[in-house]
Amino acid sequence: MNTLKIDYKNIYYPPGGILMWIIIFLELITFGMALVAFVYYGQQEPEVFHQSRLQLNTTMGAINTVFLLTSGFFMATAVDKFKENNIAKSSFYFKLTMLGGLFFLVLKSVEYYHKIESGISLETNMFFSFYWMLTAFHLIHVIMGLVILIWTNYGMTKENSDTAVEDVEACAAFWHMCDLIWLLLFPVLYLIF
Amino acid sequence: MKKSLLYSYGFLIFLTLITALVSNSIIMSTFAVSLIMLFSAVKFLLVAFQFMELKKANSFWKMSLSLILGLMILLIIFIV
Repeated sequence: MNTLKIDYKNIYYPPGGILMWIIIFLELITFGMALVAFVYYGQQEPEVFHQSRLQLNTTMGAINTVFLLTSGFFMATAVDKFKENNIAKSSFYFKLTMLGGLFFLVLKSVEYYHKIESGISLETNMFFSFYWMLTAFHLIHVIMGLVILIWTNYGMTKENSDTAVEDVEACAAFWHMCDLIWLLLFPVLYLIF
Repeated sequence: MKKSLLYSYGFLIFLTLITALVSNSIIMSTFAVSLIMLFSAVKFLLVAFQFMELKKANSFWKMSLSLILGLMILLIIFIV
């Protein structure tokens, strides 16, 4: 099987590309600082944060974690298949990846619906201000990721496609970044208070 | 399908289940928070190194990501 070779050990060529990794670092630092601030405010009002945390559905959060991890696994497999020049299989795994993302969106929407129905908004308290801001920003990233996935999948399956392995890796890196952010958001928002 | 990806995925799901178990079965203390954040950090690194193939990248990227993650986790545990 013909496998494409890139010198990943070169500092300028991390898998996904240097620009994508700069974005990933900036995103992680931004979300990280917000999470540290969240924990800091949690120490100022421990009872409010504890009672608010109990209003979150931990099971839904855990299922969403499984959706994103499964989606990430399919994404990694799609990149692997693309590198083997098996475009049909790669496209199939791209679609499974998108399905995982869609399941995440649906479950998140259900969770948001229940919160809104219970009258929980951005102004309820400090806990929910962070909850809405952090999860909504993450959700925007997931939606952006889905758009990039659709676009890349379309590009690589059309006739005379010029989609390179670097493009697919960059797309995958963005999608995995959504996993990484969620893996930090979930325990801090849903579990530790 | 690469076996390493499959094993990583299996371990990630296992860690997610363990985290849910820990958070439901023990009273939240500094130890419990540290344990949950430790599992979270392992999952984070597994996704980065296996799924994002950071294991193939230059050490600079591996160390930078690990440092940022470590700092974040330590700050959270320290404040809690």
